[in-house]
Amino acid sequence: MTIDTLINIGINIGISIINIAIVFTVAMLHVAYATYFERKVIGHMQVRLGPMRVGPHGLLQPFADGLKLFFKEDVIPANADKPVFYLAPVIFLVAALTSLAVIPYYQGFVIADINIALLFIFAMSSLGAYGIIISGWASNSKYAFLGGLRSAAQVISYEISMGLSLVGVMIMAGSLNLTEIVNAQYESPYGFFAIPQFIGFIVFVIAAVAETNRTPFDLPEAESELVAGYFVEYSGFRFALFFLGEYIGMFIMSSIGAICFLGGWTIPKYITDILPFLSYVPGIVWFLLKVYAFIFFYYWIRATVPRYRYDQLMAIGWKILIPVALANIVITGLLKIKILL
Amino acid sequence: MIIKTVKELANKIFFIEILKGLALTLSRLFSRSVTIQYPKEKRLIRPGFRGQHALVRDPDTGWVKCVGCGLCAAYCPSQCIYIFTTEGDDGKKIVEKYEVELLRCIYCGFCVEACPYSAVALTENYEYSDYSRDALYMTTEKLLSNWDKLMSGKKGEDYFKKFWRPLSEDFGTPEGQAIYKKAGKG
Repeated sequence: MTIDTLINIGINIGISIINIAIVFTVAMLHVAYATYFERKVIGHMQVRLGPMRVGPHGLLQPFADGLKLFFKEDVIPANADKPVFYLAPVIFLVAALTSLAVIPYYQGFVIADINIALLFIFAMSSLGAYGIIISGWASNSKYAFLGGLRSAAQVISYEISMGLSLVGVMIMAGSLNLTEIVNAQYESPYGFFAIPQFIGFIVFVIAAVAETNRTPFDLPEAESELVAGYFVEYSGFRFALFFLGEYIGMFIMSSIGAICFLGGWTIPKYITDILPFLSYVPGIVWFLLKVYAFIFFYYWIRATVPRYRYDQLMAIGWKILIPVALANIVITGLLKIKILL
Repeated sequence: MIIKTVKELANKIFFIEILKGLALTLSRLFSRSVTIQYPKEKRLIRPGFRGQHALVRDPDTGWVKCVGCGLCAAYCPSQCIYIFTTEGDDGKKIVEKYEVELLRCIYCGFCVEACPYSAVALTENYEYSDYSRDALYMTTEKLLSNWDKLMSGKKGEDYFKKFWRPLSEDFGTPEGQAIYKKAGKG
């Protein structure tokens, strides 16, 4: 190896580290303000104001919350399985954060541009479920354990329908690489895969809500029956790790939705043909707009729909979403062959 | 899950009910919130509000207007009014102490209603939380100063005229019956 290649590798690693730092910081700030906007949006939907005291219109509330969590006592139950108890939130957060690496935020800005990005994200969200399950086990509390078991069953059920709903996108794009999926969408006459893949889109949105354990599928953390579900026994910063993981999970699911169905950082050509000035808007703006639309939808549905019963949850997953997603794959596949031939 | 009609089936497929709910929550998002930002904004106090107690100060004597008949204490559902009277030199009843235990009061206003001489009042003050029980035990002096602070002048007059018409105004006392007369006019 020559000096030049070594320098090149060094520069590449440096750029990667800078990219990682940027993405990590933005993601953390995003989580902080996602909690703020969640409280604001749900507050206003319930004809309340939401946080108003810390800073103007409560804008500093996330920092107050973070500080509070940081200084809270770290309580560990006496009979908890200690090493596993320590490990669980880390697994959960790491799985969520790792997924951030493969998401393309705009053309060319992606930490790891791998060809199996979509598969990688599925794998990571499944790993996150391990964090939930073993936290439920290690807490040695019946509430936490029930939450963990519920989460296991729920995540397994909905991962299938989510994966199947995205197969249609994979067939249309012919790739698992997220950048290529976005480019394929831009090249296609529809602009958004949500138009030809509307069945897959609906299945994906429902499954994504279930996958991130959000209302109306928040049975693993059902406040009214399981106190807080799998993280009942966690406090202080360990609790914050779960919280961060959940919100980053939401951000990732929203990003996948935006990338796979709404064209990521691009807007359809037929829109720029009519309104040419829109093409000057940087791609990151479109990407974030779409992601925030998804996240707003999460909040909106949380403020609207009450929690499903567990058998209803399973029935929706297995009896409706999976058959519908399968039918969607068959139809998409047949159409693809028909058009190609 | 029994689906009877085509309409029900369509409702199920297109999430009609959920969409209706979503439309409702979205419309609420843009409506004015009903929250009152309490320490900054305060709720409008309606006339006749029943807040902290006050004892009417007699402008002539400078002491309580109360005659110590004990009707308010008898009516009081939570039995939180304590009246201590003594006999004066001329054989008249003197109210020594009139005390209210605020922590037991239910703010029903029966004491004000019962009083024939309009000598007790419920003021519009509701911000008097404190750290000790003693601070919320209203002695005669505290009750009198409440009157001076919150209800003196026109406000106190209107208060009784509008909401608690004293019985002594509607029904004059029969001649010969022992009645309260202001000290010194005997």
